This record gives sequence, C-alpha cells and structure tokens, in this order.
Amino acid sequence: MTLAIQAEALSKTYKGQVKAVENVSFAVEAGEAYGFLGPNGAGKTTTVAMLTAGLVPTAGHAVVDGVDVIREPSTLKKRIGIVFQESTADSDLTGRENLSLAAALFNVPRRDAAGRIDSLLERMQIGEAADRLAKTYSGGMRRRLELAVGIIHSPKVLFLDEPTLGLDPQGRAGFWRYVEQLRKDHGMTVFITTHYLEEADNICDRIAIIDRGHIVATGSPSELKDRLGGDVVTVRPTRPEPTLEATLRAIPGVSSVGSAEGAYRVKAANGEKLVPALVDACTRAGVGLATVSLKRPSLDEVFLEFTGREYREDDAVSATDRAVRIGQVQQAFGRARR
Amino acid sequence: MMRALVALTRREVLRLARNPQAIITSLMLPVLYLVLFGQAFDLERIGGGLLPQSAFLLAYRGAPSYFSYFAAGMTGFVAVTATLFIGANVIFDRLFGVLKRTAASPASATAIFGSRLIAGTIQPIGLAFLVLGFSVLLGHLGLAGLDVTASLSVLGLVEILLAIVILSAMFASLFLAIGFSIETPQTYFAVVNAINLPVLLTSAALFAWGLMPPWFQTIASFNPITIAVTVVRENLFAGARAYYPYGPEVYLLGLLVWALAMFVIATLLARRALAPKR
Repeated sequence: MTLAIQAEALSKTYKGQVKAVENVSFAVEAGEAYGFLGPNGAGKTTTVAMLTAGLVPTAGHAVVDGVDVIREPSTLKKRIGIVFQESTADSDLTGRENLSLAAALFNVPRRDAAGRIDSLLERMQIGEAADRLAKTYSGGMRRRLELAVGIIHSPKVLFLDEPTLGLDPQGRAGFWRYVEQLRKDHGMTVFITTHYLEEADNICDRIAIIDRGHIVATGSPSELKDRLGGDVVTVRPTRPEPTLEATLRAIPGVSSVGSAEGAYRVKAANGEKLVPALVDACTRAGVGLATVSLKRPSLDEVFLEFTGREYREDDAVSATDRAVRIGQVQQAFGRARR
Repeated sequence: MMRALVALTRREVLRLARNPQAIITSLMLPVLYLVLFGQAFDLERIGGGLLPQSAFLLAYRGAPSYFSYFAAGMTGFVAVTATLFIGANVIFDRLFGVLKRTAASPASATAIFGSRLIAGTIQPIGLAFLVLGFSVLLGHLGLAGLDVTASLSVLGLVEILLAIVILSAMFASLFLAIGFSIETPQTYFAVVNAINLPVLLTSAALFAWGLMPPWFQTIASFNPITIAVTVVRENLFAGARAYYPYGPEVYLLGLLVWALAMFVIATLLARRALAPKR
C-alpha cells in the first residue's frame, strides 16, 4: 500500500487561541478519492491549507507524495494540484492565457505545454471560449477552468477544496464527471473537502467526517451508513415525555432508540413498516407527536450519529429525506382506522 | 525562475494593455497639472518683467522659466502617481484569489514580486516622456511650454531614462511593500495618500528651488524625487549643472541607493506575505 497523504496529529490554533483543527490524523492511499466532510467552520479548508503548504501547522506533521509539507514546501508545490473553493482564475486573461500562465509557473515542458492546454480546454468543454476573457465565463465554465489550471502539470495528488460551491446541480454533476475521468485516466489521488453529502457519497472511496476541528468518523460511505444499523425514524413529541423512550423501545422491530435535541431517533431495519406501529403506540400512550420523519441510511444520518447535531447546510438536504408531518400521518392513520 | 518571471510580467502587461482607462486616468492628472498649475505659476511675470532673467535662472536652477522647471519636475510626479496602482493591484489580486493561486504554485516570491516591479516601472517611463513631449507642444500652442535649452546628447537621454526608471522602481517597490503588507483597498489608499502628498510636497518637483527656505531645501535635497528630477533638469537646461553641487552621475548613484533600500524592504515584505501563513 502506497500512501499519498499521511497526516499525524495535525493541529492549527489561530491567533486568539481559536482551535481550527486539533490532533487530526489520517492516511490516504495512492489513487484514492478521500473526502473530508463537514459543515462550514469544521476545519476542512484549514486542513487543506496545511497539506498544501499554505499554512504552517501549530503541531503535528504531514507528508504528501513523500514530501514533508513543513520542511519542503517548494518541492511540494510542484507535485500537487489545488482547486480552491473561491475563483482564482485571472478575469483579465483568456482561458488559454490562464492555462498558459499556469503551465509556465509549474514549469510544464514548453514542447508539451501548447498541446496539453488545447487538450484540457477541449476536455473541460471550454475550447470554444478559450480565447475569451475569463470574466465572461459562466460559473460552471470558471470552475472547469480552475480544474484545468489545477491539473495542467499532471499532479499526483489533487486537492479540491469545496470545488463545486455555488454551482447548480447540473454544473456540479458535470464537474465530478471530469474528476472521475481524471482519476481513471491518470490514477490521481484526490483529496476532496465538501459539505455536500451526496457528493461525498458518490465520489469518495473513503470519507472522514470532521466537526469542530476533530475527525469523528472515517470509513467508506457504505461502511459509515452500515454503522447506523438501518433506517432512522425521528420522532419529536409535542412536549417532553419521560416515558416515550420506553414506549418506543417496546415496539417490535426497533433496534435502538437515542435522543438528541428534544427528538428521539429510532433505528429499525424497515422504517416504512415501523412508522404506523410507532404512531399507533404513541397515540395509545397518549403522547402528542409534533413530527415524525423517516430517513434511509444516508450521510446526513451518519453525520448526526457521530456529531449529535443535524447537518444544517441548506443545500445538503438528502434526496432520501422522507419527512412526514404528524398531522398528515395521524389524519391518514385515523382515516384508515375508521 | 526566469520563465515564471517572464510569464508573470507578461500577465501584468496584458492586464495593463486591456485597461486603457487606467492609462488615460494616469495621463489626466499630469495633463491637468501642466495645463492649469504650470500655466498659473508663470512667475516670470512678477514685477512686470522688471526682474532680471538671472534671478529666475537662480530660482529655477538653470531652467529658463518656471514652466520648464515644473515640466521637468512632472517626470518625478508621474513616477509616483503611476506606480501607485501596482501596489493596489496586489490588494485586488489578493481579494480576487489570483495571488493565492500564484502563491500556491512553485513560482518563487522573487518572481512574483519582480514581475510586478517590472510592470510597475514600465508605465511611468512612457508617461514621463509623454509629459515632456506634451510640455514642449504647449509652448508651440502659445502657452507656457517646456523650453529645452541644452543640446541633448544620447548620454543625456540615457541619464534621464535611468533617473525615471530608478525612481519608478523605487516607488513601485514602496507601493508593492505596502500592497503586500495591507489587506484592504481602503487602508492601502489611506496609507498611500498619507505618504504620497508629503513626499511630493517636500521635493523640488513642483516648488521653485530659489523660493524655498534653507531648511526646506535641506529636506528636499534628500528627497528621491528631487534627486531624480535634478538629473532630468541638468540634462534639459543649458548651464544648469552650474547650479547643482554634483553631476547627474552622482545623483543617479544616490537615487540607486534609495531604490535598493526600498527594494530590499519590499522584497522582504513580499516574501513574508507569500510564505506559508503561521
């Protein structure tokens, strides 16, 4: 097993004693797509900055493609590619000029540069706009240009720091198609930070969930979801009800019950079948329910499981969410019973 | 390093060429100064022409008129005003992520700083010669104009060019140093304005030497703008060298010391700004 990235006890404390990242350790194998998943302010960008020689860690050390990131930043910069979350392309240059500049900065052999630029422009589908100023590009085109700039020197390790931020779903899907193709063609190691759960789920071989500067879980998306033990039905009573947990545990098919932020998370192999029984049990126990929602195993649930908090990014709501208003459920349930 | 330096300099020049508004704006101020300020201070008319020409020659250190003295001084003025934007570009490049992208590449801090220094020095050269040409033209339009009384040699032109280049490089270094050290455009322009005006007003670019009190002359004589425009005046006006204690070579050397000092400070600050953050 060849390691592309190895981080050991990385920590970063900013002035004012703000601990952005604390004691973070992980290893990424060569050719792997490794995701760093977490909400804004979790420490993702700080970690990328430390791994790409943009920020000196307060403690710990890291090696990327065999290069110590603290001792040899110049060597490191030659071997890695970065796509930042913000746009960094020069608006006053054309797409081709941006790539040409990047080729010179990364010392791409002159005889290869022109061919590589043409090939990348075509591949990223910005060939027709190659000689237009970058300021005239759409958001998606700019992101693709950023990706082309990031890989102009064929890096072995590519860092993508929330690369699809601000793109529409179509643009995001297109961007990831290019990344997937790159991985297939060049066996590139890709380190991705994102707060889009679905992206991490679809793209990454393994994921680390980072929250408040700490890695709280790692594994493949399926491993992480398996740890949930099935579907999750979240029950929120209209008022605190001390006996509700025991009532829920007694329902056949329930594997576990946990509580967080005034709601109960009920795990079961088949959530859909559980909901009617659950509502029925609560009605019989005289417990008023504000909401009942069913969620398939997803990274949203994984995040909640390991952090104890809901994933609050508006754009990151899972498509598998099956929130059902209790009013509708009870109404429907009542009609069925009648 | 050379490839990165050339590529980054090309980028700066392309951006400049694609923003003709910036060039026109840079020209506006010196043109206004020449057409309004320079004409209004036609001091030779004081006393209804009764004061002898020798008095003015003394006051203007060999220049035949205030306007000629002033027009030569404007070459120093444009070196300050035209280089100001090169530091501002650092701030905007930081805000728009371009500097982050460049710093993440293997390009050395020397290449990143050097390319901006070169680009910052190019523009004032053209502007300075445009100012001199325009000033001569004004004289042909019936207004006070630049009267070149010396026979200009190639060496003289080279010395003028060197004075403008070194002065521009010095101010480009200064403004780059500020640009690399300051985060926001507002703070940058506040700091630059706080430096700009005092530096200009303590120089002999605009004020007639003979009208300055001795203490002012002492301050002005160390001012790099004074040093640079002295080289220009010594070469443009016949007999002007008699009014100065040193020849242009000595002034060029003094200017070089200023420029080197500023270059070292700016390079250190740029290196610090481009190094991994701690």
